[in-house]
Amino acid sequence: MKKLNKYLLILLMVGLSSTTFTQGRVQPFDIIEYKPTNNYTLLSFGLTNPIYRDFATSPLFYSGIGIELNASWLKTSDLRDRIFNLGFGISAQNARVPQSNFIQSGSFAGYGKFEIFYQELWKIDALSDNKNNTKIGGAILSTQNVRANPALQNNTMGLENISNLVASAQWTRDISRTKDKTLDLWLFKPTLKAAKRDLRFLLNVGVLNFNYRPGYAYAYDSEINGVETNPVEWSFANYKWSLNGWRLKTQLEYVKYLSNGNARSWSYVWEATTAPGKFEGFQMASHQLRYTIYFITKTR
Amino acid sequence: MKHLLLILSVLLLTSCEKVLFKKDIGSANPLENFDYLWNEVDKKYSYFELKNIDWDEMRDTYRPMLNENSTEVELFSVLASMLNELRDDHTNLTSPFNVSVYNVALNSPQNYRARTIDEFYLTDPWRTGALKNDFLSNGEVGYIRYGSFSSGFSDSQMDLILDRFKDTKGIILDLRENGGGAIFNIPKLLGRFVSSKTLVGYSITRNGEEHNEFGEKEDFYISPTGNVQFQKPVVVLIDRGSYSAATFFAVATKAFSNITLIGDATGGGGGLPNGGQLPNGWTYRFSVSQLLDLNGENYAEDGVPADIDAAFDWNDLETDEILERGILEITE
Repeated sequence: MKKLNKYLLILLMVGLSSTTFTQGRVQPFDIIEYKPTNNYTLLSFGLTNPIYRDFATSPLFYSGIGIELNASWLKTSDLRDRIFNLGFGISAQNARVPQSNFIQSGSFAGYGKFEIFYQELWKIDALSDNKNNTKIGGAILSTQNVRANPALQNNTMGLENISNLVASAQWTRDISRTKDKTLDLWLFKPTLKAAKRDLRFLLNVGVLNFNYRPGYAYAYDSEINGVETNPVEWSFANYKWSLNGWRLKTQLEYVKYLSNGNARSWSYVWEATTAPGKFEGFQMASHQLRYTIYFITKTR
Repeated sequence: MKHLLLILSVLLLTSCEKVLFKKDIGSANPLENFDYLWNEVDKKYSYFELKNIDWDEMRDTYRPMLNENSTEVELFSVLASMLNELRDDHTNLTSPFNVSVYNVALNSPQNYRARTIDEFYLTDPWRTGALKNDFLSNGEVGYIRYGSFSSGFSDSQMDLILDRFKDTKGIILDLRENGGGAIFNIPKLLGRFVSSKTLVGYSITRNGEEHNEFGEKEDFYISPTGNVQFQKPVVVLIDRGSYSAATFFAVATKAFSNITLIGDATGGGGGLPNGGQLPNGWTYRFSVSQLLDLNGENYAEDGVPADIDAAFDWNDLETDEILERGILEITE
């Protein structure tokens, strides 16, 4: 039943992406009201809970707590959004080891990730009105994982690159408070000032899913031939590209704009991916609570 | 469509990866752990054919010794015994209470006694990095003791030693009881005794489920390294305790006419050991590759034979017969 649910869910999301793609873009001459294009620089700090399992070395899930930092450059208008993001995350992971009735074993691992993301979205008029703005488009998402687990000895270093061409859909709901509102809390009567606010939901679904995973026996060339090479070459010797697996990413974001044009937001980011590779698969998910500051840099 | 999007978002935010991933297969069940390890070894171990090991027979022998209620100690004992059938010191099982070891060196007589050398041969040994070095035979021979390839030394330290020994007739490099370590120290050390880049051997790595499925041969080259080279005769002392990287080193010396191996055959360890984890959290490692000599032969796993056989006589602890044979080889 779980398997059926999984496929239904994926079909539903892929179906949504492909059907909405046929809606077509809004042409510039459709604009009847001037709405500005804003450029923002975004800086984010997140608390994250990565979970992964690398079948090449262990059947166990590794789960942990860490931080994630992101820097983004966003160009947004009513009709179109473009964003380029660089991300970096680091966390401490522990294996989910079954309970022992003798001496408990445990495995500690360090995990780091580097991520590049570029996305373009266009408005779908049919799904938008004064309060709602729906955009669809695509993105390129590439993640490089670096894992270290000393208990695995010669396999201490775990690496994979997961790169995807993704279909994207974003729905933004204007939840602005148009006038001041006073709350009656018995002793306190705070006044909530009028503010522009958005509630935004972004969905990314992998369409072309590439991954770069170890060869059959997870061996590094340099340990075989004794040649010291640069770290990247050393790390990826014998790795192979595969086109398989899937990737999902969602972000629910609450944005509050300030009077100077800047903004800040809280968001919950969930991501899951599998990279079967050619031989043994890799699975990963993460839950993240993210705080972002939007610095407006240009309006036209 | 908006409603669909809303429903979708709720679904995604309330669901989690557990729905999408295969189930958690972490398990303390002894039989599941046995099967997992047996399968991993079956898929990737590299020396079944050389050692004539029937791995199916091992499963049939050891699995019946376990049941779902076996204790962790019983499980460890059975798994360790099964792994020791591989007769490979690159194969270990690590639990919180014990680590399994085969110990190849115990199958042969010991041929190295550090005190004999320290007390009766060395007069003013220098400890330069991980290399203990001194003059022997009235300054005619340079002696270098390298106890572990895990221990490092810098290029300038090696320059210094070779500069000290430049007026000797030759060098004895003592690798007895050297259990191996970092493979990168092989070209770093051996590169001092060669004059040009030389192919010395190959490695092949498992790349399929059949026991004889291996990938392409990968070349192992030795090139001159450092600022000071030593082209005079070099004797390398080996014994059954010379394992892993020391065995790689011994195979590589076969490509050079100025280097002679003296002592007992090495212990083996020609396979690169790669690690993994069991469903109960214990870890293991075993060989996934084979070391080949220039003729493509994989005998190194059973030991690289010496060019000149010699043995330590334990009835006379004041003389190291193997070292004496090395001195003779250089000075005669």
